[in-house]
Amino acid sequence: MSQTFQCGDNTALVSYLYDECEPSERAAIDAHVALCAACVAELAALRSARLQLASWTPPEAELSFQIVRPRPATIAWGAPSQVEGQASGPGSRHAEAQLKPEAFIGPAVWWRRSFPAWAQAAAACLIFAAGLALGVAGGSVGGSVPAASQAVATTAAAPAAGPAAVSNTELVDLERRLRAEMAQLRTATVPPGAAAPPGISEAQLLARVRTLIEESEQRQQRELALRTAQVVRDFDSQRNLDLAQIQRSFGQIEGLTGAEVREQRQMLNYLMRVSEQR
Amino acid sequence: MNVTDEDLVARSRVGDLDSFNQLILRWERPIYALAYRVIGREEDARDVCQETFLRAFRALPGFKGQAKFSSWLYRIALNLCRDWIRRQRRTPTVQLPDGVDPSELAAEQGPVESIEDLVSRRELSAVVEEAMALLPDEQRTAIVLKEYHGMTFQEIADLQGVPLSTVKTRLYQGLSVLRRHLERNGRTPQLVKRV
Repeated sequence: MSQTFQCGDNTALVSYLYDECEPSERAAIDAHVALCAACVAELAALRSARLQLASWTPPEAELSFQIVRPRPATIAWGAPSQVEGQASGPGSRHAEAQLKPEAFIGPAVWWRRSFPAWAQAAAACLIFAAGLALGVAGGSVGGSVPAASQAVATTAAAPAAGPAAVSNTELVDLERRLRAEMAQLRTATVPPGAAAPPGISEAQLLARVRTLIEESEQRQQRELALRTAQVVRDFDSQRNLDLAQIQRSFGQIEGLTGAEVREQRQMLNYLMRVSEQR
Repeated sequence: MNVTDEDLVARSRVGDLDSFNQLILRWERPIYALAYRVIGREEDARDVCQETFLRAFRALPGFKGQAKFSSWLYRIALNLCRDWIRRQRRTPTVQLPDGVDPSELAAEQGPVESIEDLVSRRELSAVVEEAMALLPDEQRTAIVLKEYHGMTFQEIADLQGVPLSTVKTRLYQGLSVLRRHLERNGRTPQLVKRV
């Protein structure tokens, strides 16, 4: 099917320019530009602009991004190259700053596993003992340790000193007491507003963390922009001051030089007068 | 044997990190170039490039191969560029002017190109970059995708989510603005052979 081309149909000209038109459309435009000087000029100008576009190259950048896996025992928030799912690269300006939770493929699973009861009890004992030790240390710094705390510390330290003297019943009692105390501590220390609702899902938690991180990033960007603007302003004002100072110094030097020249002329005039008199 | 993107994607989807890293190696330069030409800042372009691959990696389980992997990557990168541009409009930062240091230019190039040619090319490049920065985002993106990434009108239309005719109009308007800017800056039209 033959087509006709209307002079000024720019979309058709663009198709022709990029050689993305039907053969019939192309034939119609060919026939038209053979007669129309305006369209020939328009096409030549567009081609010229395209040619000049080719000179624009992005600066060379060191990229080499890679997604890397963590090494087993070294999962750490401060080591981006070890974090699973983290893109690392030498040119990455924010490589260390971008340790967002979404950088992970999925949540780590070790902490979701259920541990045996003995391990949980041992961990609880360890944490409680550490807490007591800190409490005792804090108390001794403060100068007074409540007697009750000392008694509990002694009781908790006893198994470490002589494990053979402790019976199973005592251990069970200790575990029960520890659990009760930990539950009390949890309810007493966590403010009601700060606690995550018991039904909160992991995805919600992640979303909340992401939001917080995004907000923090935005704040940092705003601060950075403000500080950069401040630095530029300071730089400009300092430069203006320096320029004014330099100008003043030049003026003084010029003034001094002028005074010296005047003195020398006066001296010369005086000498000439004296030589003429003789 | 040349492994296709699709093969590498399939392997990456079952947890083969090396395959995904091969995809990164293949596509990081084009994605960086795209980001640089759209947003115009080297460090931010690098960040966008990194974030593109990170997002692609995380979203890989959801990528079912409806589109080409490269088109999918371009889409992610363009979305990130669009977010970056929006953020910049909200909180504009102060940019220090870039000076051209001929000795630095000479140091970074091999002996093939003379200093004069190099400086001249850099100047033209700077003028083109300046002209591109004048364009509205949509026109600039259309030109970048067409001129530097060789996409068809249809591919650009799909990526930008607009009709084919809109893509052509954007290209025409963008090229016209560029042409006028280049002429104003003493860049006379070069002789072009008619096709």
